[in-house]
Amino acid sequence: MNLDWLTQYVVTIVILIVTTVGLALLLHLQMGLAGIGNFGIVGFYGVGMYAFGIFLVHLPWPESWGMVAPVLASLLFGTVIAGIAGLLVGWLIVDLDADGILLGTLGFAAIVYGLSQTNRTWTGGAEGMGTTDFPYDIGTIKANTLLWLGITTVVVALILYYVIRVHRSPYGRLLIATGQNEALARSLGKPTFRTKMVMFATGSAAMGLLGGMYGVMLHYIRPVELGIGITLAAMVGLVLGGQARAWGAVVGVVLVGVLFELVFLIWIPFPTEWRRQSLPVIREMLYGATLILVLMTRPLGILGRMRRDRTVRRPAHD
Amino acid sequence: MKAMLDARGIRSGYSGVTVIKGLDLSVGPEVFAVLGANGAGKSTLLATLARLIPLTAGELWFDGQDISHAPPWVSAARGIGYVPQEKGLFPDLTVLENLYVGAMIGERARDERLAEVVELFPDIGARRHQLAGTLSGGESRMVACARALMQDPRLLLLDEPTAGLSPLYVDNFFDRIRDIHRNQNVSIVLAEQNATKALEVADRVMVLTLGEASEVMDASSVTTEILKEGYQI
Repeated sequence: MNLDWLTQYVVTIVILIVTTVGLALLLHLQMGLAGIGNFGIVGFYGVGMYAFGIFLVHLPWPESWGMVAPVLASLLFGTVIAGIAGLLVGWLIVDLDADGILLGTLGFAAIVYGLSQTNRTWTGGAEGMGTTDFPYDIGTIKANTLLWLGITTVVVALILYYVIRVHRSPYGRLLIATGQNEALARSLGKPTFRTKMVMFATGSAAMGLLGGMYGVMLHYIRPVELGIGITLAAMVGLVLGGQARAWGAVVGVVLVGVLFELVFLIWIPFPTEWRRQSLPVIREMLYGATLILVLMTRPLGILGRMRRDRTVRRPAHD
Repeated sequence: MKAMLDARGIRSGYSGVTVIKGLDLSVGPEVFAVLGANGAGKSTLLATLARLIPLTAGELWFDGQDISHAPPWVSAARGIGYVPQEKGLFPDLTVLENLYVGAMIGERARDERLAEVVELFPDIGARRHQLAGTLSGGESRMVACARALMQDPRLLLLDEPTAGLSPLYVDNFFDRIRDIHRNQNVSIVLAEQNATKALEVADRVMVLTLGEASEVMDASSVTTEILKEGYQI
């Protein structure tokens, strides 16, 4: 099979899209089910990425261990640190109103971005930190990256499976109940704060894992990876696909990812000088415009409501 | 009569405004009606008894245990079910899922409880897969009441369950309230504006006027004058 069209750059973008699907699935649990609009996704993703990098780069790993154990241990470390960050941030914000949650999570993402730029000892500051690498070598860089795409896809598929299971579980119903009417949910015999905290911390940990996994592929981790773009992509994709549906995250992110990251940035033959500065900015504007358009015309997204109504409709009375 | 719920001098309200102004209340195995006009504080009283609004003074005891400062899920786990006047369901869940959310606590098998509430409210059977947000007002109240019963409560707080419903539905609902008390051995505190219907099912009555309560009296001894005074007509 001829895979010449599948350049290294395209594979990298596809990994980014698959990673964003994972982030949007986790955001779906937080925002779509529990009503916690996390605008600081990139913060948790960044904590995981940098914790992974710091652990891998700064620890004196014995050479005899090879690469698998250090990378896996560093990914685990990044996941745990992002989970702890989720616990701390969640403790501060999950009981706030929508405005408070928006500001709290945005603030957290700004702090992470600031730390990544200024803490030169650990993060390398604006220059970044490296190098990270795949825990294997099967030949070419492209082959290694394709294998990592496969591994990332498996992890995101597991997240999708978990999210679908949550939808129909007692825990998921409690999350949905909490998101729709927390006062009523609290009167049903379960502590909603604990439920939200568990969900927020595990979601943050998984975001950290995805950040670390993306960091493996980057080889060099830099603050530029923690811009608003990743949060925008996950948020816009989820809202477009349908934030109340697990598959909404997949449909929406793949749609905007393919359109804006592949078709717009790579496959449309814009002049080369536009590609460096203009197109990335226009792309972010397109994300914003898409969000506004979807919220105005189809606020429930492409897939619509959380549940299908399986009863034949008839006019309401009373 | 042994008191199940005992409120002593309770005060509560919203944002510094006291709505319930030092109220004593004792509920046993009975249907206890709280009557009063709009704005009398009936809904605030029931939300306070459900522990959704904190006490600013007084004590609240349930089944011999002090629940004055217990969170709502603790009082629910101890056996207090609550049906608010509005927004008593989760609209994006189906009727069946709403009932399942109600059954998260309690020891009996979920299906056993479900069979009981479907027997009590047969219409639920046909609507079990309908989204709760698409139900009519009367159906919503019925399902909200059924959801509270799925908690296996020993005391049910019903906040104006028939407000705004058609007369036929009101009659039917009050019959169900009677059934719940008699057949399922559940005590009921019923907040109601419709004094005539409430007096048909209640054992004892209290009239609430601007957060202050009248003497508790037997339902049979309530006169039009008492109601006029309580409703400030």
